[in-house]
Amino acid sequence: MLRVRFHGRGGQGIKTASQVLGTAAFLSGFQAQDFPLYGAERRGAPIVAFTRIDKEPILERGPVAFPDLILVGDETLLEDSQAAPACGADALTTLLVNSTKAPNSLKDKLNLLTMPVTCGLTKLCLKHLNAGMILSTALAAAAARLTGLIPLNHLLEAVEIELAEFSPEQLQKNLDLVREVFELLNPVVFQEREEAGLFPSKLMALEQQEVRDAAPLITATGNMNLRKTGNWRIHRPEIDYEECNHCMICYARCPEGVIKEDAEGKPEIDYDHCKGCMICAQECPKHAIKTLWEMDYEHQSQ
Amino acid sequence: MTTTAEHHKKIKDLHPQEGMAPGSPLCAGCGGLEGIRLALKELGDNVLVCNAAGCFTLLSVYPFTPFKGSWLYTTMAAPVPAAQGVRDALDIRRSHNRLANEDDFQVMVVAGDGSSADMGLSPTSAAIHRGLDFIYFCYDNEAYGNTGFQLSGTSPFGSATQTTPVTGEHPAGSEIRKKDLFEIWKAQNPPYIATVSPREPIDLSNKFARAKTMKGPRLFICLSPCPTGWGVDPKDSLLVAKLAVDTGIFPLKEYVDGQVIHNRIPRKRIPVEKYLEPQKRFHHLFVPKRQDDIIAKIQAGVDRYWERYE
Ligand SMILES: Cc1ncc(C[n+]2csc(CCOP(=O)(O)OP(=O)(O)O)c2C)c(N)n1
Ligand code: SF4
Ligand code: SF4
Ligand code: SF4
Ligand SMILES: [Mg+2]
Repeated sequence: MLRVRFHGRGGQGIKTASQVLGTAAFLSGFQAQDFPLYGAERRGAPIVAFTRIDKEPILERGPVAFPDLILVGDETLLEDSQAAPACGADALTTLLVNSTKAPNSLKDKLNLLTMPVTCGLTKLCLKHLNAGMILSTALAAAAARLTGLIPLNHLLEAVEIELAEFSPEQLQKNLDLVREVFELLNPVVFQEREEAGLFPSKLMALEQQEVRDAAPLITATGNMNLRKTGNWRIHRPEIDYEECNHCMICYARCPEGVIKEDAEGKPEIDYDHCKGCMICAQECPKHAIKTLWEMDYEHQSQ
Repeated sequence: MTTTAEHHKKIKDLHPQEGMAPGSPLCAGCGGLEGIRLALKELGDNVLVCNAAGCFTLLSVYPFTPFKGSWLYTTMAAPVPAAQGVRDALDIRRSHNRLANEDDFQVMVVAGDGSSADMGLSPTSAAIHRGLDFIYFCYDNEAYGNTGFQLSGTSPFGSATQTTPVTGEHPAGSEIRKKDLFEIWKAQNPPYIATVSPREPIDLSNKFARAKTMKGPRLFICLSPCPTGWGVDPKDSLLVAKLAVDTGIFPLKEYVDGQVIHNRIPRKRIPVEKYLEPQKRFHHLFVPKRQDDIIAKIQAGVDRYWERYE
């Protein structure tokens, strides 16, 4: 069995990627299983999806703990402890990162046992779809190619099935993208794992407790800022103070309330919590807020 | 008509305090979040929120809360009964001199449209009848958002939801008109009702400033663009809120002393399609083929509304 895990952020098409791969495997004569896993978090928050592929009926259920193939849609996830995309990666795992960085720099940084594959999928998505954040078909194509199990024609057919609601032009753009990604990568040889790849589960006896102890009672106030949502950002707003006229409209519009007026009356963004919705950039009457790629920004600052 | 003076005239008059800490798990660009943020800026910290199950339940996730005041989580139909309970408890403490007046809380229900217009309507009606002293903040994202965007009583005619998909038989998506929660409350003649938009912070803040000095049941309906369910880019969610007002689809109004006051009558209403087209939930009205009959019906509904006031 081949176990694949996709990591990305809500809104990037991670679930669709796992579905396209599952359907493509099915069309290629395999049994397939695909499903996403997300908690209470929303668009922008880390999301994971799984595809299992096998010749035999698949009886295994639940999240994949020890994947053969991991695809990371967003480089900023690599150091996100909530996402932990490299979790469970061992000597049998191949990890593909949507990045233009050199593979060995990532290998050392993430303590990987195998050399990761890097591929600049965002640029390709921008080229074909004019949107760098919708990674569904590009990630599915990368996964399908790396498995070495799925021929291009079945992959293209799967894309047509899964994107049936798209307009013919949108579909064609995705098919072109898929073709380019498929031809760019080479298959990897995977070794069959012996164990099922599930964590052993133990049942725990629950003892009756006082309601005060058992209920989820929060006695602190306003402590939500301990959760840093800055790592949700795909885009990064940056204020150009040469252009800014201190009207503070950005402050009024930011749903997170993370733009503050500093001592000189200038707006200042709290990047620990800014989710990168880009409302501030859209609403600034002076167009003084630039939209950067968070990924590029991190490259520069390293 | 007894409206107090306008406290706020420009952005810099907005109360500088943030009533909520950032870091919540709500979607980037959530219009409703901007609405409640602005509301709490005006109301201050002494607010006790009774929150019905829905997206905003995620505002507090154990062990974190964004609120400076208190927050109580209830089932979808029961935020108002909860508000009655806490209001009574606070009043009892006050009558025993165990709670100083300045430490008292403004009790505020926070609930989605599904809870407000569907599941929780009956206990709400009873509470208005009893004259319960509370603020009701309904963030209207026009569907059951938390469970993946199914039709609610306030989903608009012509919108696609998970339970009203566009099919050959149902080319409009939903064929049912939106419930008018403003009119439903108005029929019971409460002291205050207002519609607010997250894109109109001055109007919103003035309305909260007015309501906070009143007693009894007071309703706010906040149009809450939902990038996830409406299918708009997060950066455009407040732009869509603006278009809702400029097309006349979402009238900014108040009900005070038995009278409806429109806070802004759009002089030249722009065509409704400007609001509809950017949203994926109305996409089927434009592609693959324009459905002029449905767009015209939506426009006619808006025109009919404003004819009464122009
Ligand atoms: C009686 C009941 N039925 C169903 C649910 C599941 N449920 C939880 S939140 C939710 C959607 C609520 O919709 P709305 O009130 O509009 O709030 P939103 O999620 O849009 O913020 C549903 C159906 C529930 N909690 N209780
Ligand atoms: S909205 Fe633009 S011009 Fe106004 S304060 Fe913000 S960055 Fe400056
Ligand atoms: S992108 Fe701008 S509006 Fe959005 S959370 Fe960040 S600072 Fe606030
Ligand atoms: S689904 Fe919509 S209403 Fe719910 S948190 Fe996300 S944007 Fe807000
Ligand atoms: Mg709702």
